[in-house]
Amino acid sequence: MYIPVVFMGGQYNHLIVRALKELGVSSRLIPQSTSLEELKVDGLIMGGGPHSVNDGLNKLGRTPEIIERCTFPLLGICLSHQLIGKVMGGEVVKGRQPEYGRTLVKVLETDDIFLGIDREFVAWASHNDEVRKNGGRFTILANSEYCDVEALKVDKRPIYGLQFHVEVADTPRGKDILKNFTKLCKN
Amino acid sequence: MREGEVEEVRTMLTSLGLPFKVLTVEDRFLRALEGKTDAESKRLAFRDTFYTILGEAVKGEGCEILIQGTIAPDWIETSGGIKTQHNVLEQLGVNTMSSFGFKLLEPLLDLYKDQVRALARYLGVEITSSNRQPFPGPGLLVRCIGTVKEDKLDVLKKATFIVEDHLRQIAPPPQQYLAAIVEDDRTPAGRGIDKILSKVHDGASAYYLAGRATGVKGDDRAYGKMIVVSGIEEEPKDLFEMPEKVVHADREIVRVLYSISDNSAKSTRKKRIKRYFVIVRAVDTRDFMTAKPSAVSLQVLQEIAKGVLKDKRVVAVAYDLTSKPPATVEFE
Repeated sequence: MYIPVVFMGGQYNHLIVRALKELGVSSRLIPQSTSLEELKVDGLIMGGGPHSVNDGLNKLGRTPEIIERCTFPLLGICLSHQLIGKVMGGEVVKGRQPEYGRTLVKVLETDDIFLGIDREFVAWASHNDEVRKNGGRFTILANSEYCDVEALKVDKRPIYGLQFHVEVADTPRGKDILKNFTKLCKN
Repeated sequence: MREGEVEEVRTMLTSLGLPFKVLTVEDRFLRALEGKTDAESKRLAFRDTFYTILGEAVKGEGCEILIQGTIAPDWIETSGGIKTQHNVLEQLGVNTMSSFGFKLLEPLLDLYKDQVRALARYLGVEITSSNRQPFPGPGLLVRCIGTVKEDKLDVLKKATFIVEDHLRQIAPPPQQYLAAIVEDDRTPAGRGIDKILSKVHDGASAYYLAGRATGVKGDDRAYGKMIVVSGIEEEPKDLFEMPEKVVHADREIVRVLYSISDNSAKSTRKKRIKRYFVIVRAVDTRDFMTAKPSAVSLQVLQEIAKGVLKDKRVVAVAYDLTSKPPATVEFE
């Protein structure tokens, strides 16, 4: 199985590659300029990064059009979660309180991504912006005290967004959630 | 360098059978750092001095290649603009051949600290080496917050020895434990923050220190304020949720420190001499990309403070309660 990670400039993008390799999946970082046509993959993950999607999507390479058109399973983390929310018609705003470090995520809908995971779990996050649904074509799967959309799933497509970081060691169930995503890629 | 570090490294390299040379170049570093207070300009001055000296040494030995142990967090943090790790050159477009006169070889670029340790164990490297605590390339410089002076470094060296001596013995030992130093220069935090604090802990109040520390927030560099919470006596582990509340109240804060022992009231004389504030930091982490403060007991911290305060140049000792993010493990 091959699931590359689009490098978005964030601190933990390379840790996603590490986590996938530890799950027995082959992976590497690929640039934002990679087009959908070039991607021969079983699934794709897009990492976090320092930009805000509200500063313009032109800094984010080909990622918006991949989100719009891809047919393989896709997971966006942090910045890329926000990007998915925006591309799917939601809104991205400055959070009422940014989250840095530990947060408690509450699952609203288990879906495939949270199978076998507790309804509440500790996760680590590092973000200023957050997603608002506002008519967006996705379902909210989880929230936290300070953030209304910690996880989302795009309607009728295998596309997920996670505001928190499954790839860091301080999110204890992170690897299990990532494993749930790789199972969706097994076809 | 820390107390006894040269000897320790000498023993380690001898046991590995590697030829080596010790250069005494302290003065060149101190000169390069003179008058600098900003964390990044200190790091850049260190990097240039370090590689200029190494370049001379490499040339003197007739070598062409420098092998160094740059690992993944180094280039990730440097190219992400969080902090300039001294050992990241090519990734920033620095041509080491034309700038310093050597080619670079970095075999560990793709690994994290815990993976390097596993590799070392696999290769049969002695456990004292494979489990050695990470010590930053720029040494105590990044724990000497703001201006670097010889007497400040001297206090820091002694404090570091005391902190390491105590925390090495607790079980399990934190992944990293260290001391940092800054001038004791305080400003009250104001009623807004005191109000937030007293809601959670009766009698708590806070003040800012004048020095600034490095942090990481939302994948961006943060170079911000340090706040000290005082007036309470609780186990540190019961205070781990406090930073998030305080950081939300003032977004410039990157460190929340907990005052363990404070002699400032005793030492008010007519002439106020500038003295130092020592910070103890201990973290639990797998790979240093994220980290939690360690649950060191108040009793151990009080013993450490007692030892550190024997040096009359130190006024107070505090414990760092901040996770990474929003802080980093080191201070600058």
